[in-house]
Amino acid sequence: MREVYVVGAGITSFTRLEYPLSEIAAYPAMLALKDAGLSKVDHVYVANMGAARLNHQSGLASAVVDTLSLTPAGAEVIENGPASGASAIKTGFLAVASGLHDVVLVTSAERLREVNNLEATDFVATLSHPLAEYIYGVTLPSLAAMFTRLYMQKYGVTERHLAMVAVKNHDNALLNFFAHLHEKITLEGILDSPEAMTNNPYVAEPLRFFDCCPVSDGGACVILASAEVAKKLKKPLVRLAGVGQATDSHCVHERAEPTDLLAVRGAAAQAFKMAGVTPGDVDVAELHDAFTILEIAESEEAGFFKKGQGHLALERGETRIGGKIPINTAGGLKARGHPTGATGVAQAHEIVLQLRGEAKKRQVKDARIGFTCNFGGFGNNVVCLVFKRED
Amino acid sequence: MALEIYAYRCKKCGQLHYPFRMVCKKCGQNEVFEFDTVPLPKKGKLLTFTTVHNLPPDFNVAKLGLGMVELENGMRITGQLKIPHPKFGMAVAGEVEIVREAEYSKNYGMVFYPG
Repeated sequence: MREVYVVGAGITSFTRLEYPLSEIAAYPAMLALKDAGLSKVDHVYVANMGAARLNHQSGLASAVVDTLSLTPAGAEVIENGPASGASAIKTGFLAVASGLHDVVLVTSAERLREVNNLEATDFVATLSHPLAEYIYGVTLPSLAAMFTRLYMQKYGVTERHLAMVAVKNHDNALLNFFAHLHEKITLEGILDSPEAMTNNPYVAEPLRFFDCCPVSDGGACVILASAEVAKKLKKPLVRLAGVGQATDSHCVHERAEPTDLLAVRGAAAQAFKMAGVTPGDVDVAELHDAFTILEIAESEEAGFFKKGQGHLALERGETRIGGKIPINTAGGLKARGHPTGATGVAQAHEIVLQLRGEAKKRQVKDARIGFTCNFGGFGNNVVCLVFKRED
Repeated sequence: MALEIYAYRCKKCGQLHYPFRMVCKKCGQNEVFEFDTVPLPKKGKLLTFTTVHNLPPDFNVAKLGLGMVELENGMRITGQLKIPHPKFGMAVAGEVEIVREAEYSKNYGMVFYPG
């Protein structure tokens, strides 16, 4: 296999965007092409989840490649639920590593806010099993809530720990111009004060409003290239050194130990093995905190902390910027926002900035190895990536 | 006639599956339609639960109880709860009822009451 480098990166603001989906995908791609100093690519992958259903657009990739005037480059959409983004990067990785293409553009877009909040919730709920979960009114927050309840009972995680994740990620998002939520929150305001129940009502008990990611529109892009191309461009060398993917049962109730996220464990182990590093070597990580509990659980399954001890590390401040292993420096899904199909690429975008030393106020000092975990369904399809700074 | 939710038993090794699978997860048996349907038991204990306040548009209620139940034969199922104060491990008993109605469709599923 050939080595694969990230040579360009771009992102839109994550918020409510009032322009067409194809432009949400094309805009960050344009920025990434400028960043890389390229005008042509061999192939385009577009990560997206809901175009046909939410935005009345199918064949999104054809629209994007033409908007960017990149024809006749090949183009296709990669859909893998909320893990579409990292899946598209993985597909681009395969194309370059195999020698099929030299330069591949991986962009992404989601425009969830074209529909109302309840319809968006229903759309995301279609990820669950159609006959054994969806018909009951199961939503992703409800699956996360039932998981949280078990986690609390088994490991002593409390609502305070969950709120600490939210506070940390909101603080990080204040340092990220492109984040959806620029809103300082405090434990007092969302948990302790008499108004907390109004500020922070239950969505699915025990998860509250500030335990759940916002519904966002947005897009992000990275450009992958072979070593030969990457070394000609005058950019810091960031290599996509490891990819891993694993699946788990579609129905959450079928898992032998319902507090385990085996797909995260498997995907992370594969990615670390391929990159030849250990979780202890990672300087900065992007985890899929669609719900605050997931940041804690994934930090354990990825191997940064022992199972059941993620919340203790959080308490000690080890996951803050400046801590032992800063997690979700751009605000995470919690505060940067979660345009489902675009999230995996946005995570990679943040790691690329961090490893290049371009993350400004939220820069992790001397970051050389970065990790992303993109979590599809309720942990039934997970893609993990490891990035390395090489020069 | 009482309504049932069915599990699928592999004709070769006897492994039970819920929900349906085309290939047995234990022995890998993959002959077409080589599964027997077996009604799931209706009594069990509550594994975990939640109350959802933000429901899809098909549900005309303010909130809804959901839970996962371990049934008497050790199999698990996700279902709706009509239990005022759910607790870990409490005994529950299920009924098959309409759980979701849209314009042209009715979906039947397991609803659990205190057992």
